[in-house]
Amino acid sequence: MFTRKEARGGKSWSFGGTPQMTSSLPNVNLSLRDLSACLSTTIEPIVVAFNMPAYHSIFLEDRDVPVIGNFPILPLRTRTRGPAYTLPPLPNTDDLDVSPESESYDCVDEILSLFRANVLFRNFEINGPADRMLIYGTLFISECLGKVKPTMNSRDAEKALTNAALDNFAIPGDVSFPLNQAFEAPRDRQDAETLRQFIAQVRQEIAIRLHGRLYPGGVGPSKFWLSFTKRKFMGKSL
Amino acid sequence: MLLLDYQNVLIESLLTERFSGYASATPVSIDQVVSDFDGVTFHLSTPESKSKILISINVKCFKELVQYGAQEVLEREYGPYIVSPEPGYDFSVQIDLENLPAEEEARNDLIMKLALLKRNAMAAPFERAFDEFNKLAEEASQYTSESAPQGIKEGGEVMAIHYREEEAIYIKANWDRVTVIFSTVFREETDRIFGKVFLQEFVDARRRVLTLQNAPQVLFRNDPPLELAGVPGLSTKEGEVSYVTFGMARNISTSISVLTRAVLFPRHLTAQRRYENISHIQTFRDYFHYHIKASKAYIHTRMRKRTADFLQVLNRARPENEERERKTASGRTFRVQG
Amino acid sequence: MANQTPAVVMDNGTGYSKLGFAGNDSPSFVFPTAIATKAAGSAGSSAGRPPVANKPSFLGGGGGASSNLSAKRGTEDLDFFIGDEALAAGQGPGYGVNYPIRHGQIENWDHMERFWSNSIFKYLRVEPEDHYFLLTEPPLNPPENRENTAEIMFESFNCAGLYIAVQAVLALAASWTSSKVTDRSLTGTVIDSGDGVTHVIPVAEGYVIGSSIKSIPIAGRDITYFVQNLLRDRAEPDSSLKTAEKVKEEYCYVSPDIVKEFARYDREPDRFLKHTVTAPNGRSINIDIGYERFLAPEIFFNPEIYSSDFLTPLPNVVDGVIQSSPIDVRRGLYKNIVLSGGSTLYKDFGRRLQRDIRHLVDDRIRASEARSGGARSGGLDVAVVTHKRQRHGPWFGGSLLGQTPEFRSYCHTKAEYDEIGPSIVRRFALLGGPGSS
Repeated sequence: MFTRKEARGGKSWSFGGTPQMTSSLPNVNLSLRDLSACLSTTIEPIVVAFNMPAYHSIFLEDRDVPVIGNFPILPLRTRTRGPAYTLPPLPNTDDLDVSPESESYDCVDEILSLFRANVLFRNFEINGPADRMLIYGTLFISECLGKVKPTMNSRDAEKALTNAALDNFAIPGDVSFPLNQAFEAPRDRQDAETLRQFIAQVRQEIAIRLHGRLYPGGVGPSKFWLSFTKRKFMGKSL
Repeated sequence: MLLLDYQNVLIESLLTERFSGYASATPVSIDQVVSDFDGVTFHLSTPESKSKILISINVKCFKELVQYGAQEVLEREYGPYIVSPEPGYDFSVQIDLENLPAEEEARNDLIMKLALLKRNAMAAPFERAFDEFNKLAEEASQYTSESAPQGIKEGGEVMAIHYREEEAIYIKANWDRVTVIFSTVFREETDRIFGKVFLQEFVDARRRVLTLQNAPQVLFRNDPPLELAGVPGLSTKEGEVSYVTFGMARNISTSISVLTRAVLFPRHLTAQRRYENISHIQTFRDYFHYHIKASKAYIHTRMRKRTADFLQVLNRARPENEERERKTASGRTFRVQG
Repeated sequence: MANQTPAVVMDNGTGYSKLGFAGNDSPSFVFPTAIATKAAGSAGSSAGRPPVANKPSFLGGGGGASSNLSAKRGTEDLDFFIGDEALAAGQGPGYGVNYPIRHGQIENWDHMERFWSNSIFKYLRVEPEDHYFLLTEPPLNPPENRENTAEIMFESFNCAGLYIAVQAVLALAASWTSSKVTDRSLTGTVIDSGDGVTHVIPVAEGYVIGSSIKSIPIAGRDITYFVQNLLRDRAEPDSSLKTAEKVKEEYCYVSPDIVKEFARYDREPDRFLKHTVTAPNGRSINIDIGYERFLAPEIFFNPEIYSSDFLTPLPNVVDGVIQSSPIDVRRGLYKNIVLSGGSTLYKDFGRRLQRDIRHLVDDRIRASEARSGGARSGGLDVAVVTHKRQRHGPWFGGSLLGQTPEFRSYCHTKAEYDEIGPSIVRRFALLGGPGSS
């Protein structure tokens, strides 16, 4: 079982010794579906099952993150204006592989790096506000991938992605927002407006950086990224 | 599967794989000991380098076979590939994968030839008998049957191949036929009965079916036949050993085909025919045992079917009204609702 | 009689049968446990289908095939093929393919008897009278099945001697070839993953702990399907099952962590590969190979990404199995986790499994240390054994034990069978257990 710290920071294969299991012990919960699935005529069923979680946000560990409703307003490394606290730009221009230790590492980096893994999962347990950011971002990437057709060139795709980011979108609390069970509505109008601006910022930043990954060196789109179009994280879409 | 193959399937498939894959894949080392019928053991290995496959054979009665010319036959068949026998084995050939015939067909021929190693090793006495037969027949044609000198009338010596413990093949060439006698032992009571039925069928089928009239004459008995008079070491125990005699004349098609196919062979003895006859007759014992076992399997199938039928009958035979009214101690009854 | 002939080792599995002679390092033949018989099955009768569960199998009477058969008087019963030839014959008209073994257990004895007959006479080419036989059985095989097997082996084939061993125990014996294994114990946990199902089987001193066995509905076939899915998602020009299987066998490996592996593919584009498929018409098709290389075997460790109803990762299942075993053998079970079967051959499979199980164990130890307030645990050794003979583990174990000089004394012989009857095979002395060399 992986904890996030090992997943990002540790060595590739950590054996024996004392693994750094500090705060995040694995979640244990019983699943009835497991029970029925492994019933077979000859072999005893598994009685207690553990659920392997999908990857969670590293920002869960950060204290004092402001929230609107239960949506976190996390710092961003962006040039788009908005309510987010702006992180310093990267020393080099390559944003493909930002270390989580870096002070410039933001939630969009995380969303993009976890997307291909997390989108494969159907179950996701929300452990805190930062996970809601992760969910939203993951679902938005899925939406973006849907806009990019395999035949598009880099410029057309950029346009399509920017449009997708700027399009009218629902925020938590709106009737058309699909995840209202897990997301609280903002308290008042003013909060709603701030949240909308923040989400817009996130969407644009995701669109820009995703474009860079879909068209590495201007060539693309990468079929390896587009192959995730049909997958639905948690069975949901925006 | 009615007839057993003559070739060893493992050698065949292994070589086919190695031959065809050699160009692309890197060779892998082999070390396998495998069996064949009649206590024959093969050893396939790559002792020197991975591209050189050594095939060794161990035959129980190799000494006898050599006596009847096995070495010559093997040299004829495998000439350039022969190497000195591996310790513990009687005969070895080595194939260099880097030095194969170029054409596909020649390669396949080579594979088949190697897979037939056992057949060829055992073929020598048969070939010798056929040669002897040709010679005797030619000599005999100069005489009428009455005036023939004694030597020709009696035919050649009896060649005995003790290919298994307690069991042997005897081959004898006469001027008008080649006689092959199998002595067979049945340890199992059931098998002996099956065997008798089978062997009787060999004898009868030839009489009954018109197309089989040209098949060799088959005799079956429990005491040593006349041809074996004077051969030492025959079991004297009555009833345990059976003797099957094939009398093969000019128009040979071996009895193996008696039960299985009624093909009318051309009437002359060609080299091809002779080759096939030797293959056929060699597998006779195994064929025989295989069919006894197959018959038992067939009977088992029917037994299982019958048992299942009986069980079904038993299951249907339930008392008609099983439910009786049950009373509690106080005399009250439970009634099923609805 | 039968003094120096090598023992015949036959491991008949649900998918494949492994046949060969004891003493060899690989089976002589590996082919599907399939038999193609005339007409039955192809006519759409129930004979070729999986047995219908509406009545107990003994009432089925071996299906329709036998009823057809009993009406015939010729040599129809010999008109069949086994193995690859059966599959080939099943393609054409007139033959239907049957699989006599289901879920590891023999279901159709008629077919199995003929399958064995052909195995012995056509492929192995031995006289059963001259050889001892070592057969395998799945864990929890009912003793009646053993008796049926013995009946066929002794009465039909008259084989000289017979030993029936449990596959998991043989798989443990096969691991003795690994340099990691120092003591030849028959205690350990066997993870046997074939084509259809994966079993986790705890074995203590040569005896299977039946109550603790768990099975996982994820195995080789599922990995193939998953690869196929991924190929289709990417719209590769060829995404047939056959190609998916090839990709699975040639390119897949287990990664330590999938997020990091994704990042690695971004950094090192040469991890993406190309695979050439030669179509039947001679054209060759190029397909790209990407993330399926490490995602496919990942379904053992994260079943959620493939299956919606089975969600427990393999390491947790293994841990659960050992935890449900008697407490005095658990240490031995953790120390000797042995892999067996084709689906455990992925690179680093054992490594990942060992790490994950170790984490689970360490977590638990730490938690109980915390609860006990200061007591220290001596720790628990978790070791997953990977070895060269993993693919045909049970067969190889059989080959290993079958060549030992004392093997024959452990067998039941034909004479003993004739004396006592089929019930003799209900018990076998433990081969390779304590007391044997």
